[in-house]
Amino acid sequence: MSVMFCRHEPVKHPFYIEPLRIHIWSSQELCYVIYNNPLLVLEDFVDDHLIAFIREELDMEYLAAKLEKLIKSGEDNDQLLLVILSECSYYPAAEQNRFHQEVAALKKLSPAQYAKRKGDYMFGLKQYGRAAAIYGKILESPREPGEETGFTGKVWCNLGCTYARMFQFDRAGSAFYHAYLESKDQEILKRMYFLTRVNSGTELKEPCRSAVTEELAGAWDREVEETKEKAKSSESVLKIEGLFEKDPIKRMAGASKLVKQWKQEYRGMI
Amino acid sequence: MGLIIGLDLCDAYTQLSCYEKEKNWTLPTIICKCKNEDEWYVGEEAYARNLVGNGILVDKLLNLVSRDGTATIENVKYEGIHLLELFLERVLLLPQEEYKVKEIDQLVITLPSLSGKVMDSFLYCADYLKIPRERVHIISHEESFVYYVLSQKKEVWSNQVGLFDLSADCLCYYELKVQRGMQKMMVVAESEEQEETFNLDILDTPPGAKMADKILCACGERLLEKKLFSTIILSGKGFERQDWAPEFMKMICRRRKVYAETALFSQGAAYRAFDYMQEKTSYPFVCICEGRLKSTISMQVLYKDRISQLVVASAGENWYESKTTMEFLLDDSRSLEFVITPMNPKQKRTETIVLEGFPNRQPWTTRVQVNVGFLDDSTMAIAVRDKGFGEIFEATDALVRREVKL
Repeated sequence: MSVMFCRHEPVKHPFYIEPLRIHIWSSQELCYVIYNNPLLVLEDFVDDHLIAFIREELDMEYLAAKLEKLIKSGEDNDQLLLVILSECSYYPAAEQNRFHQEVAALKKLSPAQYAKRKGDYMFGLKQYGRAAAIYGKILESPREPGEETGFTGKVWCNLGCTYARMFQFDRAGSAFYHAYLESKDQEILKRMYFLTRVNSGTELKEPCRSAVTEELAGAWDREVEETKEKAKSSESVLKIEGLFEKDPIKRMAGASKLVKQWKQEYRGMI
Repeated sequence: MGLIIGLDLCDAYTQLSCYEKEKNWTLPTIICKCKNEDEWYVGEEAYARNLVGNGILVDKLLNLVSRDGTATIENVKYEGIHLLELFLERVLLLPQEEYKVKEIDQLVITLPSLSGKVMDSFLYCADYLKIPRERVHIISHEESFVYYVLSQKKEVWSNQVGLFDLSADCLCYYELKVQRGMQKMMVVAESEEQEETFNLDILDTPPGAKMADKILCACGERLLEKKLFSTIILSGKGFERQDWAPEFMKMICRRRKVYAETALFSQGAAYRAFDYMQEKTSYPFVCICEGRLKSTISMQVLYKDRISQLVVASAGENWYESKTTMEFLLDDSRSLEFVITPMNPKQKRTETIVLEGFPNRQPWTTRVQVNVGFLDDSTMAIAVRDKGFGEIFEATDALVRREVKL
């Protein structure tokens, strides 16, 4: 059994981290975000705004001054992050070391590989707009020498998934099409087929159309039907059904709240 | 400069002393309302008004307050706390008028016994009297005794000090000893109400006085035997004169100094009041007596990557004023451990507070707010709340309350 004593931090104006959609209220939370989100913080996270937060809200003048000095001397961003982790003492030395190694491994990646990892990270955060922009940039750039086999196909596929999550089915179909041309992967074909089922306006182009045998189409159709059945009893659908069982006033209030929540989620993801 | 007041409030008598002033006031703890008028009198004047049939008396104010009592005067129900406010307002006028100073810089009230409820009442009185709460403190008679004795020359307290307080209510014996040779000097004061008591009226007759002398002698022999005293002090209304107790005086005067001080508790409180105003205390000792904690409460915590002992409250702290709020992050366990170290370190023990109903989260992502206070000198009250981990893990309404006997 152990407890960690928290010093008093008089935070009145928390620090907002937009991609995570959270405010930071303490040095421990700041360290937690840094440690668990290296791809978010590795580039330009430590700026004047964060330093002002450390100085004025966390009341850590020494750390703020140290960061300013390091920035002036042109120190790398990862070093600044390590200084924060070390001064806040939230993570023990072993954990700080692990973070250091993870950052070092990320820095060893090629620019395209690093960008893909970042795009995947943004996808994980449901920041689909940002992820799509990163994937798009990778695909626009010339291929790097010694690029991993199938790398471009994977990026196209991820871009397709990203568009699909934003309900941009035509774009998603186009990205999957490119991914299929690169990899000839049946899984991608399946996704494209599913898209045609979800969005009736989408059609398979050659050579994809010919690749979908009757047998495959039958199996995938069954899968779609099974998924639809399963979705009927999913928590979110049941929630909506529950809403419609309520009286009109409560139903409208609930519906309005839900739509508002969907709008917010959508705005956050694009 | 404002007044620095020590006030000894008992159910029978109230005494008031001001720091570095000669005069002490002693008056019965009674209040009287004039008939058909909203005028109130206290002490002897209250008696006088009542005697001429012009006022209605209320006595035992402390008792009235402690049991949330009321008094009905001319069909109007007055709460005990309000009568206490009116009483204190008038008592405090005595030094204010005498020294022509209205401001009260510090007021220390000393009581025969302490309870949270009565102590709270005095803070409400402070609000009524428009004295900032931080200038009002409540201490026990034992603590007043300590401050009085330690304000005297060193030879007075070089060995043990005994105090016989003989009032109309009871005979109470106090004892104080200074323990040196430790990191910090420690003063331990204890008191005991004696079973052998008598009505002070019996002192008016020679046989009564003789019997009282005999009772005191028996008490004195039992309490003082086999101990080394540097001083014995006599206090209370019963010892305003001592000629009725020749045998007792002979016994206590053997190989030690004897003093009589009727306003000892109020003077001790005035010394304490003055010390409250000092940046650095003039009494650098740990005081163990009623009103002060007899155990140190600590927690083993991780701070700046090291295991340290965090002292939550120290032995010798005023339990009423000892309130702490701390925040911790929990590892994967859902419990808190408090180490309780009494005066005898061999009795050291650990109390575990199980945080039932607290959510399971990753280690170090559950922030808890811990409030520690004391209900009396032997009961610690703990409240632990889940504060979540910012917006990363939202707080729940999980709350655990525990009372721990020290």
